[in-house]
Amino acid sequence: MNAGKLLSYIILAIVVIAFVVSIALKGFLVTVGAFLTLFIFSFLYKDNPYYKFAEHLFVGASAAYWMSMGFWKTMVPNLFGKLYPPMVAWAVPALKNNPAQPLMLIPLVLGILLLMRLSSKAGWISRWALAFIVGTTAGLNLVRYLRSDFIQQINNTVFSLYVTNASGFDLGATISNVIIFGGVICGLIYFFFSKEHKGAFGAGARTGIIVLMITFGASFGYTVMARISLLVGRMQFLFGDWLGMIR
Amino acid sequence: MGNGHTEHKTLVERLQFIDRRIIFVFIGLAVVIPLLFGAVLKEETTPIVQTFFDTIEGLPEGSRVLLSFDYGPTTAPEIQPMVDAIVRQCAHRKSKMYMMALWATGDNLTGETIEKVLKPEFPDYKYGTDYINLGYQTGNQGLIRVLLVDFKMMYAVDASGTDVDSIPMMKNIRNLKNFDLIVSFGGGSPGIKEWVLYAGDPGKIPVGGGCTAVSAPLLYPYYPNQLIGLLGGAKGAAEYENALINAYPEYKGRKMAGMKLMMSQAVSHVVIMFFILFGNILYFIQRSRDKSRSMEAGR
Amino acid sequence: MKDRLKLVVFLTVIAFIIQATVAFAQSEGETADSVISEQPVTPPPKPVIVSGEDIPNDNGHKLKLNWEYPAEWNDSIVRFEIYRADSPDGDFRRLGEAAGGIFSYLDIGSKKKDDPNYMPNDQNLYYRVDAVSKSGVTVQSEIGGPFQTSGQWFHKGKVPVLIGVVLFAIFTIYFIRSARKGKDLYIRPLAGIEAVDEAIGRATEMGKPILYVLGIGGASDIATIASFTILGRVAKKVAEYQTALTVPCYDPIVMSVAQDVVRSAYLEAGRPDQYSDDLVFFVTNAQFAYVAGINGIMVRDLPATNFYLGYFAAESLILAETGNSIGAIQIAGTDQITQIPFFVVACDYTLIGEELYAASAYLGRDPLLLGALKAEDWGKAIAMVLIIVGVLATAFGWDAFREFLRVNL
Repeated sequence: MNAGKLLSYIILAIVVIAFVVSIALKGFLVTVGAFLTLFIFSFLYKDNPYYKFAEHLFVGASAAYWMSMGFWKTMVPNLFGKLYPPMVAWAVPALKNNPAQPLMLIPLVLGILLLMRLSSKAGWISRWALAFIVGTTAGLNLVRYLRSDFIQQINNTVFSLYVTNASGFDLGATISNVIIFGGVICGLIYFFFSKEHKGAFGAGARTGIIVLMITFGASFGYTVMARISLLVGRMQFLFGDWLGMIR
Repeated sequence: MGNGHTEHKTLVERLQFIDRRIIFVFIGLAVVIPLLFGAVLKEETTPIVQTFFDTIEGLPEGSRVLLSFDYGPTTAPEIQPMVDAIVRQCAHRKSKMYMMALWATGDNLTGETIEKVLKPEFPDYKYGTDYINLGYQTGNQGLIRVLLVDFKMMYAVDASGTDVDSIPMMKNIRNLKNFDLIVSFGGGSPGIKEWVLYAGDPGKIPVGGGCTAVSAPLLYPYYPNQLIGLLGGAKGAAEYENALINAYPEYKGRKMAGMKLMMSQAVSHVVIMFFILFGNILYFIQRSRDKSRSMEAGR
Repeated sequence: MKDRLKLVVFLTVIAFIIQATVAFAQSEGETADSVISEQPVTPPPKPVIVSGEDIPNDNGHKLKLNWEYPAEWNDSIVRFEIYRADSPDGDFRRLGEAAGGIFSYLDIGSKKKDDPNYMPNDQNLYYRVDAVSKSGVTVQSEIGGPFQTSGQWFHKGKVPVLIGVVLFAIFTIYFIRSARKGKDLYIRPLAGIEAVDEAIGRATEMGKPILYVLGIGGASDIATIASFTILGRVAKKVAEYQTALTVPCYDPIVMSVAQDVVRSAYLEAGRPDQYSDDLVFFVTNAQFAYVAGINGIMVRDLPATNFYLGYFAAESLILAETGNSIGAIQIAGTDQITQIPFFVVACDYTLIGEELYAASAYLGRDPLLLGALKAEDWGKAIAMVLIIVGVLATAFGWDAFREFLRVNL
């Protein structure tokens, strides 16, 4: 047996002993949570079997969770429970007296069509259902986005460049309105593809890319904050719930 | 002399390509140490958070607030402090809370919020008359569209399978327009944006949101016309907690979750800024060295 | 163009000055009014119903009732109770109440005939308002009415959206037709795309492979579709230069499409013999496992050039950072705004958002893509004009323009 193999056996033994001791002291669920967290953190050192174990467990468990949620929260109440309510009376008794909705046959058929994708010969039929999904989503989104993200956002950008408040001229608000106005116009110029970025138009586009980069910088900063928050959350769990070092 | 120069250069180079694991250790320490000392950082409330707070504060007693839990355990450390703060405020204001989830993972977090915040801190709050857990429902933005027209079509039963018609606080709910305020917690899709697009704008219902810091920059453009306020990440949560403490003195001196987060945030941000500055200084030293070396070689 | 831009800047400055002057003038003339309230001792007067307005742009069954009440009584009235009946001498049903000091009530009826709150359209409705005073005295108003509600087929508040949809559809159809007819539609060069040839050349010189990552989107994602077009172009060049290409895939359908794209590119370049299905292969359908797989490929094969074009999520930085650490030239592009900052810091060239679509239209010259891109440009131009005109209009105090842009739903 070489040294590397011996070391990995020693580490495994330590992990198992620590796991058992932890279960005895802190209970099963907290221990499993803590060890899985540590397994994932071990990736920061380098890729290893403990990390892989935790990762695969996570992938498998989340897939199963979504599948069972899909069945109990979608299929049972929204399909079976509406097609023929007595069918789900054993699971959701409150639904049993609801009227049956034959219209639900349409989603049932579309759902079956989607499943045809599993067949190599009849796979093309699933495209009909897909076309329905893509078409309706596009139609719904076009109107909503055009209203909320296009027209309403233009409306939000149409404001006074000279802002006053109770005490007179509001310098801060004025500057921020001017920046928003200029930033939106220059950003739009940058994403204008029909004209070469030359002259005054080019200057606008260059300002636009500066605005974009500042936005990305801010967004990056926010992401750092988000990731640190998640790390703090895990640390609170490890040092608080598990080790009891945080009061 | 020449030897010393080479050694110095390797030091700069070595520092420039510092093992990332060392940085991980520093970040880890920056996060853990403030936690162990139980330090908190108070945040001054900014207008975007204050208007949100004031909106809920201004709701008359018995107003209907829809809380949508559109997040999962992966972002819970960031979002949960906001949820807790807003639930507490709604309970103080005696608002009726309708809890639901667009995300399947939000279902369990709703129950957890009720068990950990609402029941122990507000024992007088009764299920069915003061709050209700409607649970997760599939359909994403499609669900919101249906709720805007007919609420009970999608929520015929609550999370535990009880017929909503037998629940007193559901009696007068016909569609989303019956709510005085919608609050969505989450960062992904579907989430706050979908609530604005499919409920807030078409139904003229006030929408507020608490989101992860990652998605905050994407949602700011909706404030103030389409969103009444937005809590962005841990900072937003801490600001809201500050507003809560100012309005309700019983929370004074209490270490709120968002404020704890912000202390670790602040320390780790300083560490990150240090590394950014450090890396840039080394980069410029290296560049000027390379330049002078290539000039020497050219001579 | 320069002159026009100057004109816009000039007008904006003028608008700013005018607005500032107007604002100053207004702020000087403000005075404060004080209201003196008296507490009368006589019994409260009757409320007077003045109007019942049908709510426009709806399916009916909704009416706003307005009444008047002497202001000096505001403090002594606790609430107003609102009642409705089908006829003046009919059975008045209590609908709800409004707090004292509020003189209107929105009656939302039901359209279902069996509902007790049923409110028929196009039929006479009669209302009564009772004022309840603090001392418990209730005073009934005269019966108000008849009022009617009606439903509308067309929602006038949605007109701006209708105009927008129609305009955008016209632009798209027009430009797609022009492109199909062979009209040359100009698209400006993009830095990231200009660098593609250079990056492939570099890999050829170094004798190292090229890695092309399509992201974790499905075959129907627009970003993935755009990426297919660019992949075709890259594969053709690669075949011409006889460089090695690796395309690891996340989605099986994306993989089969990518295989077709690469195969036809090799055929086009006259080197079908060099193509093998092993160039484009499936890795896994789990996000981070996919990243781990690609990272392994990068560290082992040390590609000279990496392309990350398509839909990316949290894996973007992990990929770009690994690529950076092996010293590859990296060209990235995605429409996921949250991921762009990571690509910007870790890659040499980044196609930001819509640039990815533009790049595929630029390279592929597909009429559908070109037409859509042109239509979008026109949409942006309209947005710019509306914003500039809107800001100027606001400056001149012409709020009607902004009101027009408000979508009333």
